[in-house]
Amino acid sequence: MISAPFTFNLPPELSAKEPPERRGIGRDQVRLLVIDRQTGKRTHTRFDRIGEFLQAGDLLVFNSSRTLPAALKGCAAKSAPCIEARLAEHLPDDSWLVLLLCQNGDPFACGLRRGMKINFGGDLTGIVIERDERIPRLWQMRFSKSGAEFVDEVYRLGQPVRYEYVSAPWDLDYYQTVYAQEPGSAEMPSAGRAFTWKLLFDLKRRGIETAYIVLHTGLSSYMDDDLDAQHPASEEEYFIGEAAAAKINRSREQKRRIIAVGTTVVRALESAAIENAEISAGHAYTKLRITENHQLKVVDSLLTGMHEPEASHLDLLTAFLPPEQIREAYEEAVRMKYLWHEFGDLNLVI
Amino acid sequence: MNRLTGKHILITGASRGLGRQLAIDFAREGATAISITARRADDLTEVRDRILEVSPATRMALIAANLANQDDIERIVAATLSEFGGRLDVLVNNASVLGPTPMPFLLDYPLEDFRDVVNINLIAPFLLIKKALPAMIESGGSIINVTSDAGQNGYPGWGAYGISKFGIEGMSETWAAELEESDVRVNWVDPGEMNTKMHRDAEPDEDPSQWADPEDVTEVFVYLASDESKGVSGKRFQAQEENWGLEESEEGDSKNKEQN
Repeated sequence: MISAPFTFNLPPELSAKEPPERRGIGRDQVRLLVIDRQTGKRTHTRFDRIGEFLQAGDLLVFNSSRTLPAALKGCAAKSAPCIEARLAEHLPDDSWLVLLLCQNGDPFACGLRRGMKINFGGDLTGIVIERDERIPRLWQMRFSKSGAEFVDEVYRLGQPVRYEYVSAPWDLDYYQTVYAQEPGSAEMPSAGRAFTWKLLFDLKRRGIETAYIVLHTGLSSYMDDDLDAQHPASEEEYFIGEAAAAKINRSREQKRRIIAVGTTVVRALESAAIENAEISAGHAYTKLRITENHQLKVVDSLLTGMHEPEASHLDLLTAFLPPEQIREAYEEAVRMKYLWHEFGDLNLVI
Repeated sequence: MNRLTGKHILITGASRGLGRQLAIDFAREGATAISITARRADDLTEVRDRILEVSPATRMALIAANLANQDDIERIVAATLSEFGGRLDVLVNNASVLGPTPMPFLLDYPLEDFRDVVNINLIAPFLLIKKALPAMIESGGSIINVTSDAGQNGYPGWGAYGISKFGIEGMSETWAAELEESDVRVNWVDPGEMNTKMHRDAEPDEDPSQWADPEDVTEVFVYLASDESKGVSGKRFQAQEENWGLEESEEGDSKNKEQN
């Protein structure tokens, strides 16, 4: 268990309940809180003006993982309960870690057990293998299909993982970044949600480079407050392609700024740098937890969402800024009614 | 041969006619991976078997989907990119429907049929491009939209089909303009009159033997899918015309772009 660097009061009305496009503004018109790492100066602006804080030669690194409709409803075969299975992590043996939530009453008290066979409709079934040792609310499950056939069924049957603060069951499209590619994330890597292609092309024209890596995100909540407060370490798989690795290494050599779009990118790049002096193309798993004592090796700046009180992401922010500066910035953001969560406002630490 | 080695390709409407032939010919040209979609899974299985006869090493994804259903489009792209490890080089928007037969005049056209045709022939290609583009934008790629003579001329009775093809030509031109700064090229091809079920349904009184077979028109598609067409974007090709219907100056432009 770790403790976050500080806590603060987040009023419920500061949860973004709708995507910006449903609040009457453009995807790229959310607010942006910019914090200068050197001076601590804070600037409040709009996301589509992010280019004013970047310079030619900067490298923006994105996580292009596509969001799965990762919530699947199903019932056990023989007079047993109906559950919602939330895909959390794809394991190397092609099974999955899933969060199983009972549909009636206590979400964990409907007789979940090894050997249960869940029928999800279509041609998809899953067998519960065993409880995960690291995160006890998760179960290992083996599905009747794998690869593209599994993805096909998940997209036929699933819904995006949604939390109670959203005002409507928004379609999966709202949970995708415009640059999403390979499917695999349980939840949207949301720091990049505000980018539009028009903005990306504008930045390119200004000489700002882009690179894309993949880290399939897990679940942000296990629907268990005590467990969530412990921030159990999840293990995530990441992929860095040759083109991205070359761009990142070139930027490092030339001492140009590398700006991670999202904490997932920080985690992947800092993990890759631990293994090798140079970032190598390939894939690996990471359990790296980035805190105040972490010496950043690759990433210079971070674009991220506004994080909840006591969220582990706040701890990651302390690798970029002293905790006191983050606390002041967050208190100001609350006063100025910034919006939190996946459809909310953004924070550039540069 | 092997002009498409290394290419990862998605073709809609691939269970018969032109789409089926494109899948086979792309495999013959060495395409590394081909994802084919159509409404019926068993039709796709037959095409896969034929492709594997031609090229046993081709990696295949078969996705049964209804392009009128917008959720299916996200599924097609996700399953394809999952199978291809996130890579896609070529998208061929081939699927289209004719609408009711015999073909009614617009005055008599049922609204639901009109919507269905526009959804499949125009909205689906728009969404497929939008969703597939991220996989191409960094490494480059080729988008090929299939159009028709009815996309340039208003013929009585061709109703929603013709209108959707007018739309796809305009949409292709707009995509090409918006993507001008990228390495993604967008072109559209009129395959001309072909002996396909759709064409026979459209013109039951005509003699289909006068029309080309699908295998006679695929060369331009292979060219556009291959690296030979790098730098060629925003152009309308006519598969059965001399120089594929390009003006001499356009040919020159294409060559200049390639050299650059």
